This record gives sequence, C-alpha cells and structure tokens, in this order.
Amino acid sequence: MECVPADAFLAVEVMKPQAVLSPFDEKGAAMLTALPGVQDQLAKPGVKQFFQIVKVIENQLGTEWRAGLGQMTGGGVAFAMCPQERNVFIAEASDVSMTKRLNEFLLKAAASKKSSDGSTALFEAQPIDGVPAWTLGPKETHVIAGNLLIISSGAEGVRAALAQRAKGAASSLAATPAYQAAKRAVGPDAAAMVFVNTAMLKQFPGFAEKLNFKNANPLAVLLFAGIGDAVQGANWLALGVRVKDGGLALQLASDAKPAASSPSAFALPAKSGDGILPNITVPRQIAAFSFYRDLRRFYQAKDQLFPERTSGLIFFENMMGIFFSGRDMTDDVFAQAAPEVRFVVANQEYDPAIGTPEAQIPAFAVILRLRDPAKSNEMLEEAFQKSIGLASFTRGQQAQPGFIIERPVHWNTRYTVARFPSAAIKDRARLDIRYNFRPTLAMPGQYLVISSTDGLAADLMDALGREAKQMPAPLAGIHSLAELDGAQVSAVLQRNLDIIARGNMVKQGRSLEDARAQMNALITAAQVVSKLRLTIGADAGASCATLDVDLCQPAKGKGLARAR
Amino acid sequence: MTTLTEQHRDPAWAWARYEPAAGRPWTLALAGHLHRRAGFGGTWEQLQRALRGGPQRTVDGLLRPAGDVAGFNRDFDKYEASADDARGVEDLRAWWLQRMMQSPHPLLEKMTLFWHGHFSVDGGKVNFTRLAQRHVALLRGQALGSFRELLRGIVHDAAVFLSLEAAINRKSQPNEQFPRWLMECYTVGHGNYTEADVRGAARAFAGWFVLQGELRDIPREHDTESKRILGQQGPFNSDDVVRILLEQPATAQHIVRKLYRWLISETAEPDARLIAPLAAAFGKDYDVGKVVEMMLRSNLFYSAAAVRQRVKCPVEFALGIVRALEGAVPAMNLAHDLGRLGQSLFFPPTTKGWTGGRDWINHATLAGRHNLAAAFLQATGGPYAGKLNPGEVAKKHGISTPQAAAKFFAELFVQDAAVAGEVIERDADKAARHAAYAVVTSPEFQLA
Repeated sequence: MECVPADAFLAVEVMKPQAVLSPFDEKGAAMLTALPGVQDQLAKPGVKQFFQIVKVIENQLGTEWRAGLGQMTGGGVAFAMCPQERNVFIAEASDVSMTKRLNEFLLKAAASKKSSDGSTALFEAQPIDGVPAWTLGPKETHVIAGNLLIISSGAEGVRAALAQRAKGAASSLAATPAYQAAKRAVGPDAAAMVFVNTAMLKQFPGFAEKLNFKNANPLAVLLFAGIGDAVQGANWLALGVRVKDGGLALQLASDAKPAASSPSAFALPAKSGDGILPNITVPRQIAAFSFYRDLRRFYQAKDQLFPERTSGLIFFENMMGIFFSGRDMTDDVFAQAAPEVRFVVANQEYDPAIGTPEAQIPAFAVILRLRDPAKSNEMLEEAFQKSIGLASFTRGQQAQPGFIIERPVHWNTRYTVARFPSAAIKDRARLDIRYNFRPTLAMPGQYLVISSTDGLAADLMDALGREAKQMPAPLAGIHSLAELDGAQVSAVLQRNLDIIARGNMVKQGRSLEDARAQMNALITAAQVVSKLRLTIGADAGASCATLDVDLCQPAKGKGLARAR
Repeated sequence: MTTLTEQHRDPAWAWARYEPAAGRPWTLALAGHLHRRAGFGGTWEQLQRALRGGPQRTVDGLLRPAGDVAGFNRDFDKYEASADDARGVEDLRAWWLQRMMQSPHPLLEKMTLFWHGHFSVDGGKVNFTRLAQRHVALLRGQALGSFRELLRGIVHDAAVFLSLEAAINRKSQPNEQFPRWLMECYTVGHGNYTEADVRGAARAFAGWFVLQGELRDIPREHDTESKRILGQQGPFNSDDVVRILLEQPATAQHIVRKLYRWLISETAEPDARLIAPLAAAFGKDYDVGKVVEMMLRSNLFYSAAAVRQRVKCPVEFALGIVRALEGAVPAMNLAHDLGRLGQSLFFPPTTKGWTGGRDWINHATLAGRHNLAAAFLQATGGPYAGKLNPGEVAKKHGISTPQAAAKFFAELFVQDAAVAGEVIERDADKAARHAAYAVVTSPEFQLA
C-alpha cells in the first residue's frame, strides 16, 4: 500500500492473499464442482478454453496455479483508483522470480501472436523512471520494481506509483487518518478491505447529487432506515472481508454517526442495551427479518421523510379510517405497536384435501409486539375482518369467489382465518394461485401475527409460545437483522422453476432453455450458500453492517452438507 | 394510393395464379411482400429460400409449414394457462407476442390477429383470463379453418358475451347488444339487416347467461315463440341464427372484403365484380384457408395494386424487426409499447376493432415507432438492449463491411438497396445497428 497515493478515492487491499485463495483449495473446488449448475458451466466451450490456457501457464511456470498465484501475491495486493484515471494494481511477490517468469511467458506469447496475425501491439515501452516497462495492449503498462508488479492503464499511473514508492509510506494512502480508522474498524483479522473515500468523492460533480438520494417509498424508508443517512453522512466507507472455515464475513463500516434528531431516528434503539429481538424460527423457513422500528415515530415524521407523498398519505389515511373506524393512525393505531417488528418467510405445506397450486408462493407473516393487547385486540380484529370483507366484496363484483372467515383455536388462542371455498375445485393438482393465501390474524398473548396462511400463523404461535416462556435479550445496538437459508431458497426456486423460467421468457425475451439455465444458475448459487446473515446497527456510535455467509460443503456421496 | 386498373379489376386475371414471366419476374421484393402479408416479414434465409423456390412453393410452405406447429402451440397453450386472473390479460398479451415471435407458422398467428380485430373482444371487460385465453385459442383453431365453426364457437363464447356487455339474456328483456354486433360486425355487415332482425335474434339468444365465468344455457329463459329473422320465420334458437346468417350472401361478401383489406390492399376498395368469385367460393363452405390461399397465389396479390398498399399495424412493425433479426425481445415490455403505438392486444378501441390504414400513423405514433426501433436496436440501456444483434445477423450472412451491412439491411427489411442509409460509423456492431435503424424508420418499412 505504500505505493498508493493518498489521493486515491477507492482502494482494495488484500492483506492476506493466502486466506483469500483458500476457498479455492482442493476442498473448495470439489465443493463447487459437485454442484450440477457448475458442472454445466464447466462444460461450456469458453470455460473449457479458459482452463486449457491456465493449464498451459501452469506447465510453463512449473507450478500449480494456486501456488504460483500465492508466490506472486504473497506480500499483499492492492488496487487503487485515483483522479485523472490513474488506476493502479500492485502485487508484492514473496518470490519475484515467479512474477518474472510469468511476464516473460506473456511477452513471448504476445510476440508470437504478433508475428502470426500482424498486430501492432507494442510489448516494450520506454523505461519509466529508469525501470523497464512493458505493455501488452493499448491501455496496459506494467513494470517489475523490486518484488512489486505494478500494472496501470497507462505510463502515468505507473509513474505515480513509483514516485509514491520513492517518497515512502508516510505520505501514502495507508498513512492517512481515514484509512487507518477504516483499517481499525474492519479489524486486524480481515483478509482484505475495500476503502472508499466518500469525502473526496463528494467533491466530484454529480456524485454528491447522486449520493444525496432520497427514497420516496414509505416502505423502503421504513425498512432501510438509517442506511441512506449513514452513506450520506460518511467521510469514508470500508468493507472488510474475512475468510473463515466454510464461509465469508463481510463487514461494512463507516464513520457516520446516526443523529437522534434525524427523522430516521425511529430506527435507533431508544436507550443503551435496546435493540432488535432475535429472529423467530419456524419449520421450512426461507428468511427471517427483525427490525427495531418505532412505528409511531416513523409515521409522525412522515412529512419530513417523504414530503412528496402527502396526497398519497391522505388517501391512505382515508382508507385506514374505514378499517380503523376513524381512529388517529399515529396515536391510536401505530402507537399500539412496540418497536420490535419481525417478518418471517417460509415454504408452505399444502393440505392434500384442498390441493397444490401450480405456482407455489411462500407464506409470509409480520409479527409485532403490542403495548396494550387488551386495548388494541378488538380494534385490530375489526380492521382485519373489514379488510377481508372488502376484498370479498370486490372479488364478488367481478363474479370471483370471495373469502370464508373462520375462527378456529390453536392451543388457547382463537384466531381468524379467511379461506377461499374449496368444495368446487376441479383440478387439485394445479390449483389457482389464490390458494397460496389464507390470510390469518392471530393475537397470542402480547403478540400480533398477520400471516398470509394459517399454517405459518400456527407455526408462529408455537414459536412465540416458546419465546414468551423465556424472553430473549435484545441484540443491543442492532436495528436490522436479515437471515436467509440457502437450501430453502433453492427449494422454492426448484418448485417454481418452470413457472419462473416461463415468466422470464416474456419478461426478458429469453428462450425457454436460456431461462431454465438462468434459473439453474440461481439455484446453484442458493445451494452454495448455506446461511446468510446481515446485521445493521451501530458500533461505538458509528454505523456498521456485517454480512456473514456460510457456505455448504460437499459430503461424500451425499451431495452438499452444512459447513456449520 | 394506387387505383385499380382495368386488368386489376378483371376477376379472371386478378384471381388467376401468378406465374412469373419475363414482364413480371419473381423478385426479392415480391418474396418480401409475400412474407410480410402472410407473416411478419421474413429472415434473410427465408427470403432467399423463397427466391429460389418461387411463389407457389413459398405459399405452400407458408400455408403448411414443415415444423411441429401443433407441438409448438400445445406448449404455448400450456404456458398461457398459468396466466392468472389477478393480472388480467397482461400475461396473455405477452404470451401471444412471444408466440408471434417464435411461431413456425406465422400465417396462422397473422390470421389469428385478423380475427382478433374482427371480433374485437375487449379484455378489460372479460374478468376471467382463462376466458380470454379460450377466445384466442378459438380464433387460432379456426384462423385458417372454417368460418362456420368459428362463428358457432363465437356465439357460445363467454368472452364475447362479456365483452359486448351481454352477459344476461332474459326472455322478458332480450339483450340486443350481442345480435346487433353479430350482424353489424361479425357477419352480414352494415345495411344488410334491420332492427326487427336484431330484435328477433335477441329473442333467439334468450336463456344464455355468463355466470361465474361460464356461459350457461338456462332453458326456463328460452323464448320458444316464433321469430322473424332476415326473412325467415320460426321458433329459432341461437344455432338457427348462425345458420340464417351464414346463408346470407352478404356474410361471405363482408368477410371476403375484410380479408381483401387485410391481405391485398386497403387503399383501393374492390368493386363487387372483383370479389364476387371469392365471395361465391367462400359462401359455399366458409373455408378461410381456401380464400387466403387464392389471394396469396393470385396475380393481383403480386401486382402494384397490392404491393405496399397497406400500412403496417404496430404489431407487424415491431415483429417485422424482431423476426428479421432472428431474435426475441421481452414480450411484456413490447405489449406495453405497442399499446403506446395504438395497438394494445385484447384492448381494441371499439367493438369494430382497429380502423387501421392511415390511422396507424400520426406525429405521435411515428415518433413512437422511431423510439421503439431505437430501443430495439441499442446495445445498452432499456429493456430491449442487446436482445437484437444486427451485426451478428449480418456477419452470419457473410457481410463484413459497414457499407455492405447498410445494403444488406435495406434488402432484408424492405428489399430495396436504395433505402440503405449513409454509413458514418466505423465500428462494425454500431454500423450495423445504425444501418438497421435507418431502414426500419424509413417510410418504406412502415408499409406492408
């Protein structure tokens, strides 16, 4: 990093190249090649040709590619983007002879190509500051200086890097306070770090304007609260990458400190020790989300958060006035909810007596904690039943079947479920899409569950019953948590593969084969990821986010197994 | 506008088979004309094959293509079946356009489009997507088949009843909407029926109701009394109405005139003498395929009275680009964009369908056509970017220079090298895109 000038606005530093290469070791390669989608990719002519070229280089250098790459980058790798398009890539070798041998091989290969097709590419450029320089194309210049390979898009980039090297580390990007703060934020065990100097970028025309985006969608504002503020208020952003056994961890850090006076402060835990509740776990769970959102404060700040939506909000309030019998949305409705808001998405199991829809949509639910269930339960029940009645009425106007409302009991909770009539179904193997939905309202104890199906609502009532017996401690300082299960995502994609592929034919102009291949690639990606966990909050007062990715491991003869 | 000459108006000459001769040779321009009218324009390979094969063999291939048409349509019927009511007919529009892009039998889709304009069912009034799907399947099933069977299907098609706001047909208050449009638009045409005929036919349709998305015949509501319809008297029911209408020479004449306008020319109105042989033949068995075949093989079809005597509808304009460039574009977006050009499938503007002709072109729609062509042909940005690759198509056919590409696209799209645009761009891919754009936005390409 001592060759990277201090005016770089984006830098990538790989501190531990071996750690970054480790997922591609034999075990990792076996894992990847075990996936059907990857096998399909490897069979493609272009990919085959690429691996043939790698093989030729391995033969020339007398080493396997991972070992060779390890030797050429053992001291670390850096890439930086500086003003005036002075972009530079630097690799510090632990064994520079390997770098030199690769350089000679590439120059020979280029010379042979030149003589065969008469291309006019220049291979040896003028020395830069006394260091021999080569070029393999119109926008590439490189030198080997000591044990460093420096590549840039032009001679100016290489010259700047060499000049910086001569000046010494004290004036490089690595020595700036922002970079050092970023390094501290991602921690000493990070294998690599991406650093963005947003303070500098904000001085570029157009960038500040783009950065100053304002999302006008109330739902997006509610869900992504604080993220926009963090990016806009930051002088720097840093993304740290950790490679763990069987997984990756990405940590996004910044120096932005969320302000309690900001309209987005509805997402800030009110006092020290406050934060989200852990996610709820149900069978066949695809994803779960937990948020700390003070809905009353959110709605109260609506005119600052999305002023251009005022007319839409007036309509919303008029509609809600029907469901909530004219109550004030801020104080009488939203104020009833505690700030812990959770969502769950899970694959469905269908009742064989009714049948299976052709398009299988996962069930989803929102779970709130009520401040005063005795006060709000009837209000919520009334609003739910009115909305179901309205939906049924609207469908009836179009000669479509409406809902039947039932009030069954699960354990000791009476809940409300609205279902479509099922007696006259003709083909139970290919039900209409509407049979994915059985809107349900349940209020077990202090909780409110609004679910797209009664099955998920029942699973949630079970889970909440367990939680109520021993309330978990909040995750202090965290305001958002998202967790995803790769196997369940893969399962839902597989169940709907044909329908989604067909949809992509008309949405993306693909052939059915292409659309299927695209879906298979997505399914493969989902199979690779065992678990994904994203947390967003504040660490020592500054905004930060962490993404943990657990990868699947192949188990002999059993396909993929969980790494952890 | 071309006026019909004496020779054009002579039925014996007009409907005789076209045989290329020294004075009237079979050219790339005529091959292109045939593919435009009997489909959505040809690919370079199809045009070359047509040129080699001659007109009659090409017509054979267009009427009875070699591919597995039944299998193709079965697959697409299955795809369409997953369209749900919640999205209305939006998915169906996209699927139909996708079918038009890929069909091995473009003439079948072209004729299905013709019948869609003829019966003009409004998807906005048909609340059930499967009804709209069944309706188009009915049109496709008889697009080149029997008009008799088609009409029998139409009078038992719930989508048509809903579209004409005739879902309730009570004996005590017969609904005149359905029989009026049945006579005015679907069969005998304006001036060939009276209000008394409409009232009589309305009584014959009493008892037909659309309930819960199904057409039901309720016998207690039948009007079994005698009615007078188009000069005939009896206790007629709906099937009798169809029979009576098909017995009217005006029905065959009305349909043949519309087919003439669709396949031959919309600029010169044919006189009764010219269409008489076709109407007489059609009236015998109502075989649509036979009339279409007669038209496509005729001298008149390959004469100046027909070539470029129609304005392309937006579907023909867009599909003409897509099919010629051997690609596919996102049909969902295309359905929306065609709506902006004035042709929203399943949403004809009136019960009489699209007026067509010069009405397709005005300042706004012409600019819209240019914009759509630009969106189709740009390499990046927008929903269609990169979906069509004129450079690849040119390369595939051995075109290596920008100048040659400009000429190639002029011949591919309008079969006239003189329409080739000026070549400024040096980059082969960009040059091909610019050349294709220049041709598809030319006045010549707007004509079918």
